Amino acid sequence: MAIFVDKDTNVLVQGITGRLGALQTELMLDYGTRIVAGVTPGKGGETQFDIPVYDSIQEAMSKHRIDASVIYVPAPFVRDAAFEAIDAGIKFMVIITDWVPLHSEMKIKAYAKSKGTRYIGPNTPGIMIPGQTSLGMISPSAVMPGGVAVVSRSGTLTDEVASHLSEQGIGQSVVVGLGGDPIVGSRMIDVLKLLKEDVQTKGVVIVGEIGGTMEEEVARYLDAQFDKPVVAFVAGRTAPRGKVMGHAGAIIMGERGMAESKINAFKSAGVPVAKTFWEIPLLVKR
Amino acid sequence: MKLYEYEGKELFRRFGIPVPEGTLVRTGEEAQRAAIRIGKEVIVKSQILAGGRGKAGGIRVAKTPEDAEKVAHDILGTELQGYKVSSLLVEEKLDITNEIYMGITVDDENGVPIAIVSAEGGVEIEEVARKNPEKIASALIDPLYGIRSYGAINLVRQIGLTREALISAGKILSQLYNLFASYDAGIVEINPLVITNEGKMIAADSRCEIDDNSLLKHPEFKDLRIQRIENPWEREGVKGGVNYVDLEGNIAVMANGAGLTMSVLDIVKAGGGDPACFLDVGGGLSRERMKNGVGLLLKRAGADQRIKVIILMVRMMISPPDAVAEGIMEAIKEVKVETPIIAVIRGREPYEKRVRELLKNVEKITLFSSVEEGIREAIEIARDRNGYIC
Repeated sequence: MAIFVDKDTNVLVQGITGRLGALQTELMLDYGTRIVAGVTPGKGGETQFDIPVYDSIQEAMSKHRIDASVIYVPAPFVRDAAFEAIDAGIKFMVIITDWVPLHSEMKIKAYAKSKGTRYIGPNTPGIMIPGQTSLGMISPSAVMPGGVAVVSRSGTLTDEVASHLSEQGIGQSVVVGLGGDPIVGSRMIDVLKLLKEDVQTKGVVIVGEIGGTMEEEVARYLDAQFDKPVVAFVAGRTAPRGKVMGHAGAIIMGERGMAESKINAFKSAGVPVAKTFWEIPLLVKR
Repeated sequence: MKLYEYEGKELFRRFGIPVPEGTLVRTGEEAQRAAIRIGKEVIVKSQILAGGRGKAGGIRVAKTPEDAEKVAHDILGTELQGYKVSSLLVEEKLDITNEIYMGITVDDENGVPIAIVSAEGGVEIEEVARKNPEKIASALIDPLYGIRSYGAINLVRQIGLTREALISAGKILSQLYNLFASYDAGIVEINPLVITNEGKMIAADSRCEIDDNSLLKHPEFKDLRIQRIENPWEREGVKGGVNYVDLEGNIAVMANGAGLTMSVLDIVKAGGGDPACFLDVGGGLSRERMKNGVGLLLKRAGADQRIKVIILMVRMMISPPDAVAEGIMEAIKEVKVETPIIAVIRGREPYEKRVRELLKNVEKITLFSSVEEGIREAIEIARDRNGYIC
């Protein structure tokens, strides 16, 4: 297995009959993702692109081996959908949905942790193992198989950075968006710990942005315990203070959260920081 | 969404957290009447959505009702920290023996609520954290269970409270958590929480922010968010479902996705350009949102002669290409301004090609597939029109 998923991962789609869920299911199937079942309460017994739809995960699990779930249900229902997947024993989730309430995010995180389920998102473009599988919406034309992992907090920016690597002939072992919200299932450090052990991954591109403390946290880890080469990019260098900082989790953390603090953290860990998209592949080649 | 002090105190009251006797007023006369009713020295507090009101002169003491009238008259209508003062809270002046701090927010690294208390109140908690970190104690809270009353007691004990003060503070902290959870807050703060001469514990100030993604659950605040945005362009952005932040430069920038938009701004700036705004039209695009976003930029450009060029950076992932292109074209048809548009279209094939195909004959638009070239061109245009020699 690469990290989290690979070509043999059996995938469930929660919200498979919704507009977004249906559209993305079709695109994932095109890429070769092994989607084995879908769930939409009240639509059990129907099919979507020949994939059986069930009323509940429990029912789907009694018919199929399921390794991971992709969640497309609307924001007010995400907490329940995630709890259902966790209760059913699913070990990996991708929560695509945007605008999930903050307190739902805290509860999902605490519950998943207590049951040993890992996830990425909410508000994520998903994860793609180029040439193997895609759980989410990363563009197939942006990626190619190879040895560089792309770990990002953003959506379209993840896709953009991957395409700059591909255009310069640098393939990726995994492309993953962790989600743009203040509370996400997997932080950069969680993913880097997995990448350390992943034989396919030879180097990493970290795409950070302002707000929170993820970059500072991962920079400390990189400095102390990570021996593969890493290149970073930090979005929001010129963003005005106080405007797009998001939630006030940084209340006693002083200056942490500003782009400068993140760039400095990477630099003092010996990680070169690119200023533009096109500088990223140049630094990777070096 | 930020709440005003008086709204926060109304929530405190509902949750049994003691607050001073007070009234919200909008005129000098109302202030005088409020002071008469309170019947003692009062404190007149500007209601704005920013901190630091005291230092800026927005909080004054009034010894008599006539004083209250005069002070209210002086402050109302003035501008404080960038906000116009249109209402005041007239409150009884408390006889204070001690001030502490109490707050609940979200701990970034753990993704759970964190309760923070400090033996020093009335100053910014960040400042205390810098100068006297030993005065602060904090504890993480399990969001699935909520706060435990013994946990609250254990925490406030760490800042030296004993006996009645310990019990009162423990209760207030528990109630503050209940408010935080019930109202989907991102942060709630009592700063200062005062202990009066009579030994009572009273919340002298309030700071509450409700999570924007949870406003649908709170109809009393739902519609207030848009009204509270001071900048008219930013307000129109929220109405149109896009994130807009006003800046000062001459290149208007729109992209889809917050990270991508911030990056384009950074790259424009690094190349010597000067962005006029940040407009994130959202990751997943619809025809309507695209039209709202482009329309807002065009209107902004029309109203500000400094703006020389518009950059649209669109990363196609799963959005329907026809809707994206049509949204752009409809906005251009509706809002007639001369400002040229540099459109960088990239992303999933064949969506990217389709958008490009649909936009190729639009007169105002110059299409690029390279970000580097598109941004360079925009910076050149902005320079030319400023009269610089390239």
